[in-house]
Amino acid sequence: MQVWTKLFAKSPFKPLIKHAEVALQTVETLEKALQAWREGNYEEMKKLALEVDRLEDVADRIKAEIRDSLSSKLMMAVAREDVLIYLHMQDKVADAAEDTAKWLLVKEPGDIPEEIKEVILQMGTESIKAAKLVYGAIVQMDRVIESGFAEKEIEREYEIIHEIEGVESKIDGLDTELMRLVFQNADKMDWSEGFYLLNIARTLSNISDKAKDAAERIRLMMNK
Amino acid sequence: MDPWLLITIIVGFGMAWAIGANDAANSMSTAVGAKAITPKQAVLIAGVLEFTGAYFFGKSVTETIRKGILYPDKITDPNILVYGSVAALLAATIWLVIATKFGLPVSTTHSIIGGIVGYGIVYAGFSVVNWGKMTQVVLSWILSPIIGAIMAFFVFKALTKSIFERNDPVKSSKIWSPFWVGLAFVVIGTMFYIKVLHGKDLGRGVIFYGIPAGLVVFLILFFALRAKFPSSDPFIGVESIFRRVQVITSGYVALAHGANDVANAIGPVAAVYAVATMGMAGMKVPVPRWILAMGGLGIALGVATYGYRVMETVGRRITELTNTRGFTIDFSAATVVLVASWLGLPISTTHVVVGAVIGVGLARGVKAINKDIVRDIIISWFVTVPVAALISASLFKVLMIVG
Repeated sequence: MQVWTKLFAKSPFKPLIKHAEVALQTVETLEKALQAWREGNYEEMKKLALEVDRLEDVADRIKAEIRDSLSSKLMMAVAREDVLIYLHMQDKVADAAEDTAKWLLVKEPGDIPEEIKEVILQMGTESIKAAKLVYGAIVQMDRVIESGFAEKEIEREYEIIHEIEGVESKIDGLDTELMRLVFQNADKMDWSEGFYLLNIARTLSNISDKAKDAAERIRLMMNK
Repeated sequence: MDPWLLITIIVGFGMAWAIGANDAANSMSTAVGAKAITPKQAVLIAGVLEFTGAYFFGKSVTETIRKGILYPDKITDPNILVYGSVAALLAATIWLVIATKFGLPVSTTHSIIGGIVGYGIVYAGFSVVNWGKMTQVVLSWILSPIIGAIMAFFVFKALTKSIFERNDPVKSSKIWSPFWVGLAFVVIGTMFYIKVLHGKDLGRGVIFYGIPAGLVVFLILFFALRAKFPSSDPFIGVESIFRRVQVITSGYVALAHGANDVANAIGPVAAVYAVATMGMAGMKVPVPRWILAMGGLGIALGVATYGYRVMETVGRRITELTNTRGFTIDFSAATVVLVASWLGLPISTTHVVVGAVIGVGLARGVKAINKDIVRDIIISWFVTVPVAALISASLFKVLMIVG
């Protein structure tokens, strides 16, 4: 009897999906914080930024659990290394959101030009897209395995990966745009404001960067 | 009745009960784990089909256990065969109890053969063991899980190609699942011809019994599946079809298990029966049907009284198994076991099923398999025979002095 209850190890995919869900929530909460920031509602912004911090902790805990359960004693449908690196990247998505939240918390913004705020909000919206796509990608990976690596399901997975790459390059464009705007408005702001904005842009574009890296790992999982 | 025959029958019945309690539950676990049937249904199906398998198809393997392992003509004293058989049965039972306590997945088949070899060597030295047959048996233990794995690998690949990769997986599975079940019935029909009707010509059995049986089952299932199952989500649709089909293949496993493993309990009983009726370790006495029935009954009773709890536990804990996987494992394992029974090879059902699980894993079907357990199983192969042999040898010595 013991054979059956022990032979099948717990699949890492359900917890990976759960982790992706939390990462997505983290990014969504960050976007709400950015909206509050734009509206000048700093109390609300702080509350939301702290919530981002809390969610990132939750993601970390799930990550630790998955890592502990993924011993080399498992025989899996995908390479263990790919799963671990994927998890690392997915976790970086939440980390990047937390980094942005930190910048929001450390400094009261001064008088920031509306066009810059606009670009940052756009970056936030796109980041949510990236995080949503990562969630979709890991759910689809589960389906790929469920179908016994059917060609059709693999193709769908590639479509999602392409979409993530598309979002990433769009955010890259917004990032460049933001840098240009910051230097254009250099005389209207002091150095600390510029520094603050550039870092928010950098951490925001990190979200989609890591999402892209995660997608890259999923591609590798399919080519074992 | 000869008192020793009575004792052997009681011990053998106990062993049959233990096989039913542990092994039979293992053979139905994939179906229960994949939620194709409830533990209650599993007990009912397993009870009936284990008995059927044992009664109709159990003879060849029983003959191997009775007189294939040791040279019967080298045991001239009939008492030796009686003491030895009791010692072997007791040793196997004791070792099973110990191993269960430590959570080692050991095989009843390996235990009983260890027991027989053990007393044989103590009595007449190494030359009494039919090493040719023994090599064949041990080789089959190594080969059968490998064949189970290879078969499950290809069956799962075939399912993927024929069902999951099609535009309409639900529609495809309505054609292909009756095909696989039909194939199972080709094997069962052929076995029926050879075992029950004592046919000799394999080709004849396949053509006149196997293929018609398979065809009839294919058609029945094909039309039964046409009526229902709206194609909403393709994967859920496929799994719900296989959930129903898996009830049949899990029955197939129970039948195969009964056919092969009944011998572990009643092979030694049959040997003692031959002595009791002929006064000698008679080669000529065939295994009487009532002994096969008794073994089948013991297994069925084990399933009903204890197997129920085992299946309940399994049903709650295996969540990583879908119906298509369970189906693949059942189909592959049962076919290997039934063919082995036909060849008179005593193999371990549990180990073949484990082999099939690994095969599906290698086809990237199962998400995660615990390698440690696989290693434990392999170790248990190498440990069981010598340990059972040692226990049996000691018991045999005691019986020789006391008796």
